[in-house]
Amino acid sequence: MTGEIQGGWEFVWAAYGVSAALMGLYTASVIIRYRGMKSRTTRKREGLS
Amino acid sequence: MRDNSNPVYTESSRPWTPYALIGIGTVLLLIGSYIGLFVAPAEHYMGDVQRIMYVHVPTAWNAMLVLSVAFIFAVLSLWRGDWKWDNRLESAIEVGVVLSFLLCVQGAIWAKPTWGVWWDWDPRLTTTAVMVFAFLGIMVLRNFVEEPGRRATWSAVATIIAFIDVPIVYFSVNWWNSLHQLQSSPETVSESFHLPLRINSFGILFLMTGVMMIRARLAALRLESELAPPLPADGKSLESGRVPGTGPAVGGNA
Amino acid sequence: MQLMAALRKEFLLMWRTRAQFLAVFVFGATSLLLFSFAIGPNAAALRLHSSGFIWLALLLSSTLSLSESFHVEIEQRAYEGLLLLPTSPRVFFYAKALANWSQLSILGIALIPIMVVLYDAGTDRVLALIGIILLGAAGLSAPGTFYAAMAAQARSKQTLLPLLLFPLVVPVLLAAVKSTSLLIIGDPMNQIRSWVTLLISFNAIYWAVCGLLFGRVLED
Repeated sequence: MTGEIQGGWEFVWAAYGVSAALMGLYTASVIIRYRGMKSRTTRKREGLS
Repeated sequence: MRDNSNPVYTESSRPWTPYALIGIGTVLLLIGSYIGLFVAPAEHYMGDVQRIMYVHVPTAWNAMLVLSVAFIFAVLSLWRGDWKWDNRLESAIEVGVVLSFLLCVQGAIWAKPTWGVWWDWDPRLTTTAVMVFAFLGIMVLRNFVEEPGRRATWSAVATIIAFIDVPIVYFSVNWWNSLHQLQSSPETVSESFHLPLRINSFGILFLMTGVMMIRARLAALRLESELAPPLPADGKSLESGRVPGTGPAVGGNA
Repeated sequence: MQLMAALRKEFLLMWRTRAQFLAVFVFGATSLLLFSFAIGPNAAALRLHSSGFIWLALLLSSTLSLSESFHVEIEQRAYEGLLLLPTSPRVFFYAKALANWSQLSILGIALIPIMVVLYDAGTDRVLALIGIILLGAAGLSAPGTFYAAMAAQARSKQTLLPLLLFPLVVPVLLAAVKSTSLLIIGDPMNQIRSWVTLLISFNAIYWAVCGLLFGRVLED
């Protein structure tokens, strides 16, 4: 017995999964919010000019 | 007083730069995580759970970096008074909160198999949790103040005050709970563990730099629509970004 | 000189709103009573946690008294008049913060007997306990006054102040609770000194920084 922690892969997958999900979703949300805002601004500009 | 001579939002000459950074970051993260999950050997004591470190430590470094950068933006925003620093501050605070929150979640997932509890009041993790709430408070502050100039000043000031608190919180939690582990840096882990740590660190760095650039552009667009008075026919005021009443009359430049 | 005048104004204001202070005290005492229901009628556990309860009660009451201290200024539009005076906003801040400090200290000291009665948490070192209350109250009132000034001028002020203040004063809460509990439970290792040092450093940093930055909060 070396005191090595056996297994624990489910925690490894959980950590990587949460990280990928959170960073992915946040990146997507920023891009979507930016695109939406941008098209709204361009529409406003074009609509008034 | 805020300097309104610069435009709030200018179309970048290289609008695809942040997307390229996000792409590079994603690729790096995929490579680094692959090495961390399948190539690197299991650690002697921690076993496979050690692999969490390959994503946890890079997140920690980047969270720390982003919050420091937010502090610098806050100082620049306060003393330079240019709107661009306020937009960057807004993006840095949000990205910092996301990374710190992620750090807390990873820390809890790491603590469970290691110590048998989800949360062990480790000073670094606890400080991060306190900072999540401190910076969430600043995000709420930004939402509750409508006047853009006041919002910029107040959130910059609040960021400076919250950032000064980081070492104090760390020391107090450290004394309060003397149980803590060694600082994780490439120097304290063996040679074979360096590679995934470094690749993932740069991966998150590139990814989040790209995201922060887009987030700052979003902030600039929003600020612009707040500052813009009812549009004159030529739409010129969109580019000038003056606070109504402070600059020359918009649309009717004398 | 200006500070003295501003302080006189603050204490006059405090005296005129003493009914409000009494209400805050009743709030603090009520929360002390409620905390004991959370732990149950276990006398030993109550005594062990009494230091945490009194500081939580003080922290919760502080948000009431802090936001109230600026409420009057904003409601009567008095602070616009203050801005016209040729005094620096720093004077205004330190007068306000000192007034809030004394108010919180009185509140904390008034809560001690209730803590002693409810939780059987007496101590021989009463003066030291009062000193800790003074230091902790100072730690709450410098950033508290600062953020109350902001929150009073923003939307939904009631939520904003605790959101900004509570994470910031975590070190104050930790140090004050630890040192109070060392006074009540006993301090064989003389650990209280490091906690008092922490409280003093926090106060030194935040009384200076908040005073420096307060001008920015008012001018915009």
